[in-house]
Amino acid sequence: MSRVALGIIVATLAILLGGGPDAVRGQAPTGEYKIGVLEPLTGNLAFEGKRHMEGLEVVRDLINERGGVMGKKLVFAVADATDPTAAASEANRLITREGVKIITGTFSSRLCGAASEVAARHKVIYWESSCVDPRFNKRDLKYVYRTEIDATGFGWYNIEFIAKHLAPRFNLKPNQLKVAFLSEDSSYGQGVTESARQRAKTEFGMQEVMLEYYNWTTLNDMTPTILKMKQLNPDVVHHIGFGNDAVLFWRQSKEQNFLFKALVHAGATGYGGADFGKALGNDANGVFALLEPGPGFRLEALRPEGQQIEKAFRDAIQKRTGTYPFGAHQLAGAGLWLLKLVLDRAKTDDPEKFNAAVMSLDMPVGSMINGWGVKFSEVGQNANDRVQHYMLQWQNGQLVTVWPEEFTTLRAKWIPLGAWDQRK
Amino acid sequence: MIARLRSRPGAVALFGLAALTPLFVRDAYFLDSLVLILLWGALSAAWNVAGGYAGQVSIGHASFFGLGAYAAALMVTRFGRGPWLGMLVGVVLSLGAGFIIGFLSNRLRGPYFALSTIAFSQVLLIGVSRWRGFTAGGEGIPVPFRPGFTTLGLGHIAWVYMALAAALLCYAVEVYLERSRLGYRLAGVREDEDAAEALGIPTRRLKVLAIALSAALTSICGSLWAQYVGFVDPTYVFSVDLSVKFALNTIIGGMGTALGPYLGSILITSLETYLRATFSGVKTGFAGIYLIIYGTVLILVVRFVPDGLAGFASRLRARRAHA
Amino acid sequence: MDPARRLGPAQIDVLAQLAVATVLLGGIYALIAVGLTLIFGIMRVVNFAHGEFLMLGMYLAFWAFALYAVDPYVVVLISIPVFFVVGLVTYVLVMRGVIQASHNVQIFTTVGLSVVLQNVALVAWAGDFRFVRPWHLSTVIRAGSTTFNLSQVVAFLIAVGLTVALVAFMKWTHAGRVMRATAQDRDAATLMGIDTDRVYRLTFAIGIAAVGAAGVLVAPLYAIYPTAGLQFVLLAYVVVVLGGLGDMFGAMLGSFIVAAVEVAGSYLFGTAWKEIFYFILFILVLVFRPAGLFGQRGAETLGV
Repeated sequence: MSRVALGIIVATLAILLGGGPDAVRGQAPTGEYKIGVLEPLTGNLAFEGKRHMEGLEVVRDLINERGGVMGKKLVFAVADATDPTAAASEANRLITREGVKIITGTFSSRLCGAASEVAARHKVIYWESSCVDPRFNKRDLKYVYRTEIDATGFGWYNIEFIAKHLAPRFNLKPNQLKVAFLSEDSSYGQGVTESARQRAKTEFGMQEVMLEYYNWTTLNDMTPTILKMKQLNPDVVHHIGFGNDAVLFWRQSKEQNFLFKALVHAGATGYGGADFGKALGNDANGVFALLEPGPGFRLEALRPEGQQIEKAFRDAIQKRTGTYPFGAHQLAGAGLWLLKLVLDRAKTDDPEKFNAAVMSLDMPVGSMINGWGVKFSEVGQNANDRVQHYMLQWQNGQLVTVWPEEFTTLRAKWIPLGAWDQRK
Repeated sequence: MIARLRSRPGAVALFGLAALTPLFVRDAYFLDSLVLILLWGALSAAWNVAGGYAGQVSIGHASFFGLGAYAAALMVTRFGRGPWLGMLVGVVLSLGAGFIIGFLSNRLRGPYFALSTIAFSQVLLIGVSRWRGFTAGGEGIPVPFRPGFTTLGLGHIAWVYMALAAALLCYAVEVYLERSRLGYRLAGVREDEDAAEALGIPTRRLKVLAIALSAALTSICGSLWAQYVGFVDPTYVFSVDLSVKFALNTIIGGMGTALGPYLGSILITSLETYLRATFSGVKTGFAGIYLIIYGTVLILVVRFVPDGLAGFASRLRARRAHA
Repeated sequence: MDPARRLGPAQIDVLAQLAVATVLLGGIYALIAVGLTLIFGIMRVVNFAHGEFLMLGMYLAFWAFALYAVDPYVVVLISIPVFFVVGLVTYVLVMRGVIQASHNVQIFTTVGLSVVLQNVALVAWAGDFRFVRPWHLSTVIRAGSTTFNLSQVVAFLIAVGLTVALVAFMKWTHAGRVMRATAQDRDAATLMGIDTDRVYRLTFAIGIAAVGAAGVLVAPLYAIYPTAGLQFVLLAYVVVVLGGLGDMFGAMLGSFIVAAVEVAGSYLFGTAWKEIFYFILFILVLVFRPAGLFGQRGAETLGV
């Protein structure tokens, strides 16, 4: 082992780890307030991470136009979290090198779990905007908050819609409904599907005719599953898709002429993503997806302060991306706006005072972006009934808001779906 | 013992530096990076036992890593016991898996063996993802942090020493292989299996032994990792990306050398961390640039320095000696 | 009782449709595997980046369609020469230097290449899912109660055509014979005056051209995104090993077997388990017949 190699080791270590152990950049110069942003910017989830960033940047600019946070301009220190190790490591960097006291993000359960542990250990506030793992708030970690409902909330809303809105229009009682559950097998799909199954069975006595999980990254053909489902003859298909699997299922169902009364999904991926409409055009008509508000949403149904910020948000996203906000934009944006409201009230990022401010917030539905209200539980979870969710439906190339009816001017069509070529 | 230490100045320097660092540096990010360097180094050294010393190049070592990680996580969350017990269970499971892979290595060579190890790790990935009732499936397992040694709830400084211990363990095994009769016989298997067999060396048994040993060490590190990062997700812990990383560090550092894996880990882990830290904040949509750089460096190093940094250093030394 | 297991007229229809699904899916896998078996068979290089070239082919189809409204079936004709050149360039820049090196070096070179290509795509075109929607996307042919998706049928026919063409090329042209000779014994071939570098260059270029064209053909059927190649690459390796290295017809047959295992497995046990089935099949074949189901016994040790 030569001394040369030794030199290489030491030199590399020294240079690559940031020019020395004390190269802490710390909080930005006066006039700016820096928070950490942890999102998957590379890897499989990159497309969602990018939309989150867009939503965050738009709302950051809106916040700064309105005076920033605690009198200072809001700025981001961004970190890429591709996998759990990276998430933990980058969280560490944000805290130690960038000196942030608040970290927001993170989209995926595998990432938020690891990163929030790191934050909690350093007494840094973790402000989660979209991971839906139900166990996130149940780990006894302090200063860990989630602005969005978790997977159980999604399942809850979906079944609510199926039982109270769809069943009567099929002339069936909820316990006469046959439901087939199909889902991709990541933490997201499993979380939502399991909670939906639970509520469907225990509260409404719906009949579960099938339960199937698959890996969306390796799925090439849904024909075998569809053939099986044709024989099981479900009324409603509860399908949580992630990307291509949604398109594959819908397209191949049409090819096989698989008929059923409704398909319900939840979330901003798969059926709830822009790509689904782009892939299928008018063929996408009829699919329901639980999401944040889309076109048709009645601003008037919101409270005045909610109307203002929702309109500003929509306009800004439209200007930046050319489209109506999509789910990822809305979750990230709403999360950041809510953070601003808390900081306005707390006037500090001291964790205890911050926590007090969080707990003291109590706003009814319709108060902010997405028409959300706020009420955090003791474990830092925003309440299901304040985080109003909406059922959207694909109608002629657009995902429009159809439920709850008091929030929208548009109505659901094609209930039940009927023949494939009849959905115009 | 002093003589032995003196014969390996590189190792003394490396591990010594690692041991001394927490006394001078308190920066948590630096220490975290050090832990990762040591841990990935240990994992690469474990891989080296099978890949470098026995010549069995597997791209499926994540199988053992994942088994170790899950065993520790499940033991804590499901059975309410400590992660050390989980580590033990992980080792037992990985020995079993190691025997299976060892069996495969006796039937297959080169790229076929490599492909079969990939298939094995994917079978485990899918199996664990589906077994929702036991492993929480695709949702993964959050591992709780409970301060204390028995629960492996350690602070940054303690983790440096824990990772160092793992690194030293794997290093010791490597050194043992270099100096012992077992090691010489393995070298025979590695250089020319047919000739070794002709000489009466029980090649099949030795290969299985090497792989099983490698598996056990990998599993131990996997259990430690689970407690360090705190979230076990099947698509990550059994991934081909991880398997490749273990092999990669060793190849870049020098296969079949004891210090090689650690040199490789220093270079690669530092590069990864540095690039990610520097380029994450870049305009949205350009985050992939650091991976392009990473991939290109990979191609270049593998091509131009195939015997790794350690080999490069030895060649330099030899050249100087003859100058 | 699970309705899937009773046998009646409805079930015959289901079986027919499953059979069709198998054949058409097999066609797609064959398209992807044909190029790989050539490269793996002749050069004995495990090309981890194979899926990324497929992905690039898919993006070619997407951009041609999005920017110039060119139908994929026209693009495929352009893609063959384009990817031939891409293959040549890749060989000269990346592969040539490691041909004589150990397997590990080759494997990790292609791993690096795979990472680079995935992220070039990510940076250039973002991670959003893209789709190609030609007019014939949802066109189906119905025969009785069985449906055939037109795009899949075309992909299948082209896969067959391509395989036949490559087999003919390998068997009856001088270049093909030279390639086979080099595969059997690189040193002997050199001694016989064969320029092995040229052979490898050609092999790699043809292999990449095949997988690039495959990408264009499958683009209408799947989402297009930077890591799309991963969806197929492991599977392609299973096919190649099943069919025997370098054996084109073997690759076709291997594709159908894998497709059958997938389709039957999905139908009977649920889509969750399908990969387990073909991975286990893979391991079994490797253990008992490593030369592949149709390869010559012992062939797998050649050049390894």
